[in-house]
Amino acid sequence: MSIARFSPFELLLLKSRSQVDTATLLLLAWVLVHRQHVSEGQRRRRLAQVTAQFRHGHELGPIMSIAHSQDLQAIQLAAEVVRKECSNERSLSALYQAITLATDDGDLSLANHYILRFLADLLNIAPSTLSTLFQELTGKPLCPPEDPSRDAYWQQHDPEYHARQAQEAQAAEQQAKEAHARAEQRQRAQTEKQQKKQQKQQQEQQRQQEATRNAKARAQREQAQREHDQHEQARRTRWQQEQARQEEARRRQQHQRSSSPPPADRTTRALAVLGLAPGASRTDVRQAYRRMAQLHHPDRFYSESDHLVALASARFQRIKNAYDYLMQTY
Amino acid sequence: MRDLYQRLALSPSANSHQISSAVTHCANSALRQDAETVLGVAEHRDAYNKLHKTVSDIGQLRARLGLTHGAHWQGDVANDFSLPPDNAISRHDELVDRVSYAVSLYNHWRRFKGPLLLVALFTAGAGIGLAFGFTLGLGLGTR
Repeated sequence: MSIARFSPFELLLLKSRSQVDTATLLLLAWVLVHRQHVSEGQRRRRLAQVTAQFRHGHELGPIMSIAHSQDLQAIQLAAEVVRKECSNERSLSALYQAITLATDDGDLSLANHYILRFLADLLNIAPSTLSTLFQELTGKPLCPPEDPSRDAYWQQHDPEYHARQAQEAQAAEQQAKEAHARAEQRQRAQTEKQQKKQQKQQQEQQRQQEATRNAKARAQREQAQREHDQHEQARRTRWQQEQARQEEARRRQQHQRSSSPPPADRTTRALAVLGLAPGASRTDVRQAYRRMAQLHHPDRFYSESDHLVALASARFQRIKNAYDYLMQTY
Repeated sequence: MRDLYQRLALSPSANSHQISSAVTHCANSALRQDAETVLGVAEHRDAYNKLHKTVSDIGQLRARLGLTHGAHWQGDVANDFSLPPDNAISRHDELVDRVSYAVSLYNHWRRFKGPLLLVALFTAGAGIGLAFGFTLGLGLGTR
């Protein structure tokens, strides 16, 4: 037996002429407390209007103060009483009153979305009934509540914040662009300088060549040209041979790489990822992989935080990579 | 409505430093964006906390009343705010218990009211007489 005293709401309930009415009153006050942009006096007047036919014989003040204190135990007690003693018609009328109190001026606050649905579940009223009731009372369909835990909600309700963010992002982007443009300009200037130098060199070479040409006789020049052609052909053939040789060497190297055994270091590391000592057999590897995959599978952490899921998937990926590598080479 | 605190493995009373570190370590980019917008700005966080409090209260009420699988309690909210049913006794039963206990106490009092009053009167008289005799004795001794 508990030694706790009777709470204010329990005392009210015991004194009340009709327990259901008192309990419904508290639930309605709970709805009213979560309505925004309403003064305290307006709340009390509205509650008195809606519950004019109730047969409780006590003041509304204590009920409002209990609802303001968000006393969960009192609300739970009220919900139990209402569920126990409400007939079908009575529960419909209670929900009707809750909807009128929640949406006098049209807008349903986010908290009241959830409270109304809780009351509907408590009074055993189907979603279709609730939505038709809501439509009849307010002339608007009951839409699902907006979600303030998402970015999209705040884009709609606080566009200033997003505008500020976008401006900052733009400024950062512009700065990056400017820096990039400056770097490009510098590069361009450098390349231009180099080109100019090259042009100068070429011009000088041409001048020299012209001078030599003028000095030499035509016949001599033809001969020189012939010799030059021959020389070039020889150089070309030599270059081709060299290329062929290099390619062959490359091919040989690749062949050697693929045929030679993989480095022992990577194998031991992969084995260590699977929790095995070097020298484990192929079946050991397979068994260890199965065990580790079951232990670290991301789906196991689905019910916990997204952060843990991400960590688990990173671990699982590492284990799988090690297993794939060992199966290919081991 | 999702429970960002639960999804980031934070407590609702976490300070801004803990939140920012959790947000930067979060691997899901969409969740990171949402958490940055909602928890990173003080006004947004206040509004979110208010609704979070109400919805977690409702989750607790639903767990106590056996309504965690109601037709109106589905999707993200039900995923994040449903609690396992606890063994707390029904508040109404508790109230009835306490009222019956109080009633039995009252009945006992009514039944033994006469004899108890007599006993109380007698002990009070004896106490007063004793005190009087004691002071008298003390006065004689000093004289």
